[in-house]
Amino acid sequence: MASPCELRLYATSQGFADRAAEAAIAEVDRIEQKYSRYRHTSVLSAINRAAGGDAVTIDSETSALLQYADSAYQQSDGLFDISSGVLRRAWNFKSGQLPSEREVANLVAVLGWPKVELTAGKVRLSQVGMELDFGGFAKEYAVDAAARVCAEQGIAHGLVDLGGDIRVLGPHPDGSAWQIGIRDPQQPTQAKLVVPLKSGGLASSGDYERFMVIAGKRYSHILDPRSGWPVENTFRSLSVVAPLCLLAGTAATVGLLKGVIAAPAWLDELGLPHCWVQANGQTGGDLGPWQS
Amino acid sequence: MKQKNARGQGASAFMALSAAALAIPGIVSTAQAAAPIAEAELGYKASAYREADIERSKLAAGSASRYEIDTHQLRFISPLGRASDLAVDFSYETMSGASPWFIMPGTSGNGPVQVMSGASIEEERKDIQASLGHYFSSQHAAKVLLGYSTENDYQAVNMGVEGSIEIPARELTLTAGLGFSDDEIEPTDPEMPDRIDSASRSSTTAFVAVAQVLNANTVVQGSLSMVTNDGYLSDPYKKVWRADLSNTVADARPNERQQLVLNVRMRHYLPAVRAALHVDYRFFDDDWDISSHTVDLAWYQNLGDNWQLTPSLRYYSQSQAYFYGPFFYNARSDGYASSDYRLSPYGALSFRLRLERNWGEFSTNVEWESYRAAASLALDDVGVENPGLVEFDILSLGLKLHL
Repeated sequence: MASPCELRLYATSQGFADRAAEAAIAEVDRIEQKYSRYRHTSVLSAINRAAGGDAVTIDSETSALLQYADSAYQQSDGLFDISSGVLRRAWNFKSGQLPSEREVANLVAVLGWPKVELTAGKVRLSQVGMELDFGGFAKEYAVDAAARVCAEQGIAHGLVDLGGDIRVLGPHPDGSAWQIGIRDPQQPTQAKLVVPLKSGGLASSGDYERFMVIAGKRYSHILDPRSGWPVENTFRSLSVVAPLCLLAGTAATVGLLKGVIAAPAWLDELGLPHCWVQANGQTGGDLGPWQS
Repeated sequence: MKQKNARGQGASAFMALSAAALAIPGIVSTAQAAAPIAEAELGYKASAYREADIERSKLAAGSASRYEIDTHQLRFISPLGRASDLAVDFSYETMSGASPWFIMPGTSGNGPVQVMSGASIEEERKDIQASLGHYFSSQHAAKVLLGYSTENDYQAVNMGVEGSIEIPARELTLTAGLGFSDDEIEPTDPEMPDRIDSASRSSTTAFVAVAQVLNANTVVQGSLSMVTNDGYLSDPYKKVWRADLSNTVADARPNERQQLVLNVRMRHYLPAVRAALHVDYRFFDDDWDISSHTVDLAWYQNLGDNWQLTPSLRYYSQSQAYFYGPFFYNARSDGYASSDYRLSPYGALSFRLRLERNWGEFSTNVEWESYRAAASLALDDVGVENPGLVEFDILSLGLKLHL
């Protein structure tokens, strides 16, 4: 995975820690290979190649992940949609050019989770040109899976960090919390705030890594799958804490799509602690040092 | 995890998402994950078991002071290579004191009274048990067990095999096993009249168990065991009072005993209070007509600074064996007879308190148990209480070293 990854494990011996780390890395590799969009041999590529054709038989892990995507789609009023990756064909943030309305509309007509037929042990993309992308949750799932592997190896104190998606396996051995820095969108090498975490997952979503400014208007890469256009008036970054990294990631993704008005109330209702950084640098939410 | 304002639509959205996430195989650790133990550990435990003196009003003759057992236990567990592990348990016990011998009818108006053996019993017991587990994959594991136990008048060997399969998609673990033990009894005082010279017995156990992870914080386990005992199942040191003979006869039990044991266990972790609730129920039934119920409740409370306090309570109730009586007016037609309090109808309550502290490289614990058996604690009404029912305390100190 093309992002800095880190495993920090406490163990009573080096060999013991190495063995746990090795097993966790193998698990992350396995998930990456199985669900990568870029690998022709991946399970995901096989599903996408069959778009418009026959249903593809899938194993229990893939089936459960798709069930999760289905649940996230239902619970987010259609904002979390793993078939929305096709919009990339129209949006090129390096080009500095906007796609045509028609181009976007044509892609929006192809995407849509309801067009995915998910039955027991099988999945079928009903239209030619459809494509699923696990980018929105496979990494978070890999974080949880790596944490589970470490726990099974007897690690009770540690942290798994895959490019900012984090799962804590328990506090430091002295019982103190891990101090997790949330990046400052203006200065991404610095922490805007620090979140203490003893257990559970933390994930962030932001619009500052890829965007373009055309005629004074900022277009972020956070695309609303319903319109095909970038979400307006959202956070620069949003971080959520949940029992699982997967849940935190989904909530952060959906929160960013909901925008500054609707997201805080939605996250409050979910009962998930969160914090955000706005375009003007202002921070908010119930996570962070001002709350401790 | 903090859950503020979790209610209404938001709470149900959270539940729906969580349920879908937890349904993904392997996203959370199952309590029964098939993996060899990760690090070697050496444990030592010293226990002092003290039975309370028998009440004077229940004692007909013999010593009022009862059994004392001091136990030293050593436990070593270690990974063996990448896919196997080993566990060895050794225990050494020294026992002394008097034990119930037979029961005589009491004087009018009073219950029957116990005749105790003299306080001369001095015994030691050594027991070693070893098990070797091998993990063929993260879903298939097998284990072999071997044990040997010896006392002044007793030797036993046991062996067993078990296999387990995990079905991650269903968060289910199935285990099945077979066990066998062979015991030889050779009383130390065969010169006593009607004492046997030697005898043997064997038992075979078959069990199936299932563990189901219900969610990240709850696991339930159930098991069913069938046990067949064959051979000399009487107690060579116990006698039975026969009123028609004005004398005692030997304890005599059937040469076969079929037992069925059903166990149900629930483990629930409560993250908000950092505690775990263990609820265990055991049902026992055999063809000697004994059936029993055991309920065990334990609360594992994590305290700050790596302390853990565990209070627990156990309730037990059993019905009597069909050939049991405190004493007998005349011989039973089948020839069986026993006055052993362990075959009598009774109930028992036991309270335990355990305090453990983890110091990192090692952990220490102290545990106290107080147990009392009485006919009045039984679920059913008991006409005559066995005067030999026991009351005891156990104090244990333990040390665990992570190697």
